Amino acid sequence: MHELSLAMEVIRIAERESAIIPVSAIKEISIEVGDLSGVEAGAFQSALELLTRDSVLEGANIKIIRTSGTGICNSCNKEFEMHSFMASCPDCRAFPSVVKGGKEFRVVSLVVD
Amino acid sequence: MCDTCGCGKPGEFVIHDHSHSHDHDHDHDHDHDHNHEHEHHHDHDHSHEHVHPHSHDHEHGKVIDLNVDILSENNRLAELNRRFFAGRKVMCLNLVSSPGSGKTTILEKTIESLQGSHKISVIEGDQQTLLDADRIEKAGAPAIQINTGSGCHLDARMVDMAVQKLDPETKSILFIENVGNLVCPAMFDLGEHKRVVVISVTEGDDKPLKYPYMFQSSHLCLINKSDLLPYVDFSTDETIRHARSINPSLEFIILSAKTGEGMERWIEWIVKQTEATL
Repeated sequence: MHELSLAMEVIRIAERESAIIPVSAIKEISIEVGDLSGVEAGAFQSALELLTRDSVLEGANIKIIRTSGTGICNSCNKEFEMHSFMASCPDCRAFPSVVKGGKEFRVVSLVVD
Repeated sequence: MCDTCGCGKPGEFVIHDHSHSHDHDHDHDHDHDHNHEHEHHHDHDHSHEHVHPHSHDHEHGKVIDLNVDILSENNRLAELNRRFFAGRKVMCLNLVSSPGSGKTTILEKTIESLQGSHKISVIEGDQQTLLDADRIEKAGAPAIQINTGSGCHLDARMVDMAVQKLDPETKSILFIENVGNLVCPAMFDLGEHKRVVVISVTEGDDKPLKYPYMFQSSHLCLINKSDLLPYVDFSTDETIRHARSINPSLEFIILSAKTGEGMERWIEWIVKQTEATL
């Protein structure tokens, strides 16, 4: 359940930002979770919802943006949707590929009052 | 960054400074202050990834664009650990595995083999108890125990604090034995030179497919308990094939910490890594 400590890190980031830019309330936080990031998005969202109580994120809408994995085949350079690290190229069946997208795990933005 | 500890509020963990006390009758009342955040031994400038957050108006309020990696604080501390290790010429290995793969036994035997020629210290991570640090100290190396409470992994901040207390010698080897867990420690860079994943032959050769993140982020895979191979349905070839389908550059050593079979290859690998850091 590392999602709990990751959620705590999000609270820290929100606290740090709201100290830099004084805001009356954070209305929404957008978080990008890549499919190959190693984060279970549902568990992470539940953990974050739990932790927002009595924090600067209390009452804020939590918006999770899922990014699918993409890979580039080492052999034929084809870019393809990658559902796992074991995925081989759909065109030439070659392996391995370079992971291009899907490892993102970041706070994208806040909507504040 | 660490998780909720059984003893109190979120963000608490306990470091047992084993090298200075052997009184194991303590009762863990935890009334001391755990608020050590930012008590680092390195210079750091607190510059975070985002420069000046861009903001613009939105129909429901003002939007502040951040684009901050959620692991950025851990990664920054890991980088500081890495610089500290480089400055002191400490070669650091992070050992990860599921519980019961034999990490501590491997370390005991490794200390036995290397202590004549190398200075070694160990950071032990477990949810509870000082048992592993006790075993390491008995094997002859200074050890410090981090108890993560209910936390499932070590993070760079815990290692930073443990390293301050452990104070590893110049030109030495530091082993970090992570919490037994094949999932959570994968995401947390500790500042190690190399990550070593341990799997034992009693676990099943499909484990790399079930826990791809750990095998993807490791440099070396030790296949332990090879003495039990005749008694279990475990194919080392299949394990290697599965793991390489996730991480083509992963190295493998098959060994038995109990009988000593294959241990010389592991020792050679460590010596090679150590020489590379000097």
